[in-house]
Amino acid sequence: MTDTETKKALLIDEAEKLLPLVIEIMPGHAAEGLVDIYEPGSYEAKSLRKLCQRTLNKKNLTIEEQLIAEDVDRQLDGGKLLCRGQEIDGTALEFAISEQTEAGEKYFYVPIRAIKPQEGGDD
Amino acid sequence: MRQVLNSEMELLVASDFIYLPLLLDPEIEKETQTLLQPEKQLEKLKNPVSNTIIKHDDKYFVKAFRIPSFLDNYQAINPYSYKRLRNDCLKKYQLEREVDDILLSETLRTILFQIMPYFIKKNKGLKRNKFNDEHILDLVHEKVEIPARYFEAAKTFQNLGPLKEILKDLEDQKPVFKLPENGLYSGQQLRDWLYQAVQAKVLASEHHRIAEALQVREQFNLAKPEHIATLLYIADSGALEVDGFGFTLSNAYYKGEYLIYKRTGDYILKDYYARSYLFPDCRVAVSTCTPFRPFVMEKYKHPFLLAHKAGQEICMKNFAPSNELTAQNVIRMLEEGLTAMHYGYDGRKRNGYHSLDKMWVHIPTIDFEDYRI
Repeated sequence: MTDTETKKALLIDEAEKLLPLVIEIMPGHAAEGLVDIYEPGSYEAKSLRKLCQRTLNKKNLTIEEQLIAEDVDRQLDGGKLLCRGQEIDGTALEFAISEQTEAGEKYFYVPIRAIKPQEGGDD
Repeated sequence: MRQVLNSEMELLVASDFIYLPLLLDPEIEKETQTLLQPEKQLEKLKNPVSNTIIKHDDKYFVKAFRIPSFLDNYQAINPYSYKRLRNDCLKKYQLEREVDDILLSETLRTILFQIMPYFIKKNKGLKRNKFNDEHILDLVHEKVEIPARYFEAAKTFQNLGPLKEILKDLEDQKPVFKLPENGLYSGQQLRDWLYQAVQAKVLASEHHRIAEALQVREQFNLAKPEHIATLLYIADSGALEVDGFGFTLSNAYYKGEYLIYKRTGDYILKDYYARSYLFPDCRVAVSTCTPFRPFVMEKYKHPFLLAHKAGQEICMKNFAPSNELTAQNVIRMLEEGLTAMHYGYDGRKRNGYHSLDKMWVHIPTIDFEDYRI
């Protein structure tokens, strides 16, 4: 599924299940980002933006995570958080897709990119 | 000469000369008798080099050419064969200039170990672990199918023994080849000897290169064979692509320079009326030589590209290209290009060179109707 694809991949039967939520905030076009896991029941009532804020405010980051966080901050200096090309207004479940670990455990996944705009058109 | 050396004809080697069998007809026989007269024989003893015709096992042989001269001039006599022998020899010991140069290339190391890790998925789980150069090579080895011959080449590359031996012989100033002893040889025997002698001379002429190659290989001697195979594969192909990120050697004009790219994947842009247009995948690239500006490698059209052709720079706002080639700068330039392509166009503003929806003006512009979904 591409970033800008607007189709929601959430399956109805899975929406009814209680699954953990994984949010990944990637700086720019990086392949990997900051990952945060929310247990079922802890994220449903909150907006995605709020969850992202909480992830970005985490303190106990490893050195590798700190480097990613710095890249995210750089992008957010004048930039914004996007999920599949859209601004993240709404709940996490509106953007989530269902994935599973190698061990077969299911979870909801929301990939978010911190993008500094480049409008183009004016060289 | 080639025909003689490829034949089964018996040739005589005497005093560093090659003698060809003498065909006898009455005229030649007469001449032979004159040359072999007793007074001529005496002269021959005084000056053995003048032996034009000699007799061996009741057969006459005529002097053809001096072996060392033939060897010294082989490059001019048969340039094609010399080049082939030289290449085979350098390949056998992996002494082609490109391999060592590429393995030591600072640009390639920057791309592989500093730029690529940003754009490829390194971790399988949710943890973000520290990755070093070896991990990156492991990852490339996992994700790219490396042909078996590079693993064989890696073994040769890491076997320093033969090169050390050649270098030692050269430094001890031992003769690089031994001339064949006097006697009868078939053409093919002499040809095999000649090829070996040419290759020995090639190695002698590459003395410095062997010394340099040994230094490089000693650096890589403790590396895993699959890492060497991966590096040799990259050195040979000059290109690599993992997870949509890749690089390729630029054309011959910019020797040793690379194009570093990231694929956009398919993406959707919307026009003034919120209608969707599906844009196909393309590679947004930055060259390692100036100008450091992102461009699209393929023939492509987009509101931020002036025409519908290959190699167009992406038109960007407030973009100050850096003059220094560093990993951070390349990542930034690629990202700006990708962001412009993915998210830069605003249907309401119709920014860029072209509008996605037709504006009905009399200015020729690019049409995007075929991308409408």
